[in-house]
Amino acid sequence: MPEDRESAGRERREKLKRFLTDWQAVTGLVLVVLFFASAIFAPWIAPYDPNAMDIPARMSGPTWVHIAGTDQLGRDTFSRILHGGRVALYIAAIGVSASLAIGLVLGMIAGYGPRWLDNLLLLAFDAVRSLPAVILALATVALTGPSLTVVLAIVILTTIPSYGRVARTATLALRHTEFILAERSLGASTSRILFQHVMPNVIGPLLILAAMEVPVVVSIEAGLSFLGIGVLPPQASWGTILNEGYLVIRDAPWMVIAGGIPLILTTLGFTFLGEALRDIFDPRMGRGR
Amino acid sequence: MTSTKTTRRTFLTSAAAIGAAGLFPGGVGMLRAQEGSVLNLRLDGDNSILDPGYMVGGTEIEAQKQCLPFLAEYVRDGDTFTWQPTDYVTRLEYVDDTHIEFELAPGLVWSGGNGTLKASDVAYSYARMKDSEWSGYFDALETVEVTGELTGTLILNKPFAPFIMVTLCHGPGAIVCEAATEAAGGRFTTEFPAVCGPYTYSATPGQRAVFEKNPEWTGPAPGFDRVVCHVITEVQAAELAYEAGEIDCTELGPDSLARYSKEMPDNTAITTAGQLQYMWMGMNTQHPKLQDIKVRQAIQHAVDVDSILAGAFAGTSAKSHGIVCPGLLGARSDHGYSYDPTKARELMAESGVTGLELTLRTLNWQERLLTAQIIQANLAAIGITVNILPMESGPFWEMGMEEAGDTWENLELWIMRFATVPDPYEATQWFVSEQVGVWNWERWTSEEFDSLYEEGLSETDESKREAIYFRMQEIMDETGAYVWINHEPETYAHKTGIEVVAAPSGELNYHRFKPV
Repeated sequence: MPEDRESAGRERREKLKRFLTDWQAVTGLVLVVLFFASAIFAPWIAPYDPNAMDIPARMSGPTWVHIAGTDQLGRDTFSRILHGGRVALYIAAIGVSASLAIGLVLGMIAGYGPRWLDNLLLLAFDAVRSLPAVILALATVALTGPSLTVVLAIVILTTIPSYGRVARTATLALRHTEFILAERSLGASTSRILFQHVMPNVIGPLLILAAMEVPVVVSIEAGLSFLGIGVLPPQASWGTILNEGYLVIRDAPWMVIAGGIPLILTTLGFTFLGEALRDIFDPRMGRGR
Repeated sequence: MTSTKTTRRTFLTSAAAIGAAGLFPGGVGMLRAQEGSVLNLRLDGDNSILDPGYMVGGTEIEAQKQCLPFLAEYVRDGDTFTWQPTDYVTRLEYVDDTHIEFELAPGLVWSGGNGTLKASDVAYSYARMKDSEWSGYFDALETVEVTGELTGTLILNKPFAPFIMVTLCHGPGAIVCEAATEAAGGRFTTEFPAVCGPYTYSATPGQRAVFEKNPEWTGPAPGFDRVVCHVITEVQAAELAYEAGEIDCTELGPDSLARYSKEMPDNTAITTAGQLQYMWMGMNTQHPKLQDIKVRQAIQHAVDVDSILAGAFAGTSAKSHGIVCPGLLGARSDHGYSYDPTKARELMAESGVTGLELTLRTLNWQERLLTAQIIQANLAAIGITVNILPMESGPFWEMGMEEAGDTWENLELWIMRFATVPDPYEATQWFVSEQVGVWNWERWTSEEFDSLYEEGLSETDESKREAIYFRMQEIMDETGAYVWINHEPETYAHKTGIEVVAAPSGELNYHRFKPV
């Protein structure tokens, strides 16, 4: 046993070393930490109230007073970007967690349950995947009106199939393994098998997938808010900042630039981090293969 | 038979020639110069119904003005507009309060072998308009009496001073060919059954509408041989196309207008068509939260319209004092309340209402959303929480209509803009008692307002008419249901070498464009 523990410790150290010597992994980690920190601490680090108007100073260029300039109503763009990050974080955290949890459970049920249930769930996954998020959002908003809750619901619904399919495939691979058969022969209940034995073996790839889904979810929110069907005014979101900036791009180009940079950095950060984690924990799917 | 075959050598030769042409912009310029009689314009969407009785309006009216006869047309008179007879008539005049006589110009031919333009076409066109979706414009018309092949009389059922300005100059005043329209089944959509005007019309959906010089037209020649209207839905994209030299004229948004006014691009001039649009924030006087007039008056005093004009409209539009637009009879220079947050707070205190939360509905357009956010901040300052609800145009335009569902019951605040014509009567018609639940979404009624409306229609003395429209707007102020915002101008940027002619409501009249 001590040898096993020592071997596991050595493996962990090896993985950490690989992580820390991979520039993409470190860049990704730094950007992700920045994303979380700026969003969580936005009320303390934003220099201005994101909704405070100063109309005489509308569409001012970047200065030391307003480092990312101001918008049409003279609001500080940098403060709005920081607060917009909170919306992105809210959607990413709740959206990804909820879709991961639902996708995991449905995927395990599909992989472990009877064939007909598997077929039914696969059909449901494929049906949902075939719905374009934007069209679905437009249709929903036509019925309910725009809101962040609608965006969240759309994000959760449209990303469940990704987790569900991965969880199903992994569960199918485990279903006939010896330890599962042994558990079954000992009379373990299905829920015990799924949640105590299958889930710990399935969750790893899903967490990596979740890390890579965060920028997708953030982009969906930004896209819907850009189209005016996300957050309601005066709340700031990166999508609304982009939309407002796009309309005055020749008069105030800094709004689009300032609204686009956090989206790009967040996407790069989570993608780099997700790929690095995948390379370390699942080298068979790593880069160069 | 000639065979055309592309070989490697011909391909390379052609590519080199195209490349060489690209190196000599003067050559391209020469090519463009040869197309000097082509005018490139913007169309904000496809024309879907060209029939004047069933059109949406806007660019469809622009198309009608190039291809169909009209008896009268707008003409600028200093800061305002008046009318003049068109090239289709040799005479158009009021002979008394209820009779307008006209005489058509001889020899004007309908396309497709449909004969000449006759007075019977006028009678047919206006009779069918009375049963159309635009029939309101013809309420005052009793009939058209045909007195000769080219002559006739428009008989009104009561004295109606603005009939020529409101109806004959505007889109509904278009005349269609009786024979061709009947042959087409009595109605038409994307093609004119016959044209009689300076241009013919063809369109490629989603791409362009093309107006070619009409070879059968015997009236004055238009300034350009060909007008190509490119479909560019976004005004910002059209501005970019203009700056890239792809189009010769485009409408400007408020921020671009401010930028152009500050620093005019080379070879560019600006023409303002008119300011015949009035925007306001409306309040539903029957809603339980807004039934108390003190609350409504508090809202009137709380909204800083000057900030809206500066923040949402870049200072490019005129402050509104009512529904009658600047330059028209009855336009006011002030209104019955002022921006006074202290007074607004006092009125709220007097009303005893606290913790008021209201929903402000608006179209999800940039300027409207900015306006809504300023109002939201202003009302927050007097303790009213406003939730902004951006809406698509479909549900927005029917939210106050009783026949379109129950939304009108929940309607609290909204930002609305109407366009009008160069006579005050048109704007007042939407607020009479019978319009409650139709277009009077504020849902107030006033017998005095209704009777003044009738008086305004038949009064021909200008000073008396003016007094009538002043009083009608005072009544509207007194309801507390309106916060007047602005009159947005219809503004066009165009090449300095082109004279632009637009109706006061913004429709361009291409055949009156001239190279200068």
